[in-house]
Amino acid sequence: MTSTHWPLVEVAARLLERDEREAVLGDLLETGEGAWQGLLDVLGLVVRRQLSHWKNWQPWLAVFGLALPGSLILMGVSVSVSSMYERLIDHRILIGSSHVIHEVFLQLLCRGLLLIGCSWACGFVMRSLSRRTLWVSSASSCIACLFCLVRFREPSLSRLCLFLFLLPAIWGARQALRLVRINLALAIFLAIAITTLMILPSNSRGLWTLNWSLVWPAWYIVATAQGAGRTVGRN
Amino acid sequence: MLGEFEYLLITAAAGLGDRAYGAPIREEIEVTTGRRCSIGALYTTIDRLEKKGLLKTWMSDATPQRGGRAKRMVRVTPKGVQAAKDFYDAVTRVSRGASWVVNRTGRAS
Repeated sequence: MTSTHWPLVEVAARLLERDEREAVLGDLLETGEGAWQGLLDVLGLVVRRQLSHWKNWQPWLAVFGLALPGSLILMGVSVSVSSMYERLIDHRILIGSSHVIHEVFLQLLCRGLLLIGCSWACGFVMRSLSRRTLWVSSASSCIACLFCLVRFREPSLSRLCLFLFLLPAIWGARQALRLVRINLALAIFLAIAITTLMILPSNSRGLWTLNWSLVWPAWYIVATAQGAGRTVGRN
Repeated sequence: MLGEFEYLLITAAAGLGDRAYGAPIREEIEVTTGRRCSIGALYTTIDRLEKKGLLKTWMSDATPQRGGRAKRMVRVTPKGVQAAKDFYDAVTRVSRGASWVVNRTGRAS
């Protein structure tokens, strides 16, 4: 193994888990494998490892049941929240009756909480389902974001409005990484809150029925917390 | 029933005994078969066999050799030994009467 090419192999080996990385790099050093052959060997193992994760259903669900559709719908909710905020600060409404302001504010609050709750749950479940394939789920989400970003045609709103869901979603994903256990009562509270909030604004015109697909991650958290002895399922 | 490569790996590991880990197992397979054994095939097969309970692996302490990298040691379990025996018996039985076997033993009629 030539020292000049060794860093390349080490970088590639970072895609492996720690113990395996140690063993593989040690084996390559011991056998004195050529740099490129060593690199190919490491990359071959990385590909095999990544492919093996896809034998399970969880990464598929994370990408096609959550990352792609979830991002699209959450961007819709983000725009809905932004529009509502815009309406609230619009002077024409402010000069209207206090009843209208109160109603719009209440709707904005409900949708804002719904957006935060759904995004958090989606991020949490996506991370729980695809611990080792998170980069694919994240890339799928980015593709959905780019798609909407390119097609966004709302002159009164900034394009950043599309991404209001990102912060709570990232927060949820980080929580899933740190939390091995989630409190069952908290999970039930979250699921009921999201479902209730979904019912409330659905009576108005803004949200559409497809948004109901955002409810399942919250109930998935409840189901896995219950099924695995209050431990959130991990892939 | 084991696969061909699984059998080779178990046999190589069993032959190496306490010195069984990635690099020597790979070398043994390559020398014996005359074919290249990729690290990817080796480690994914080790994982599969461990899941089946045919191998047991553990990380050794880091040593100054190999750049201070630890080894993934391999030991064949009794179940693995039995699986290898079964494979060998099956290959031996199915090979009876095969022309190449007859020719090699010099008992061709």
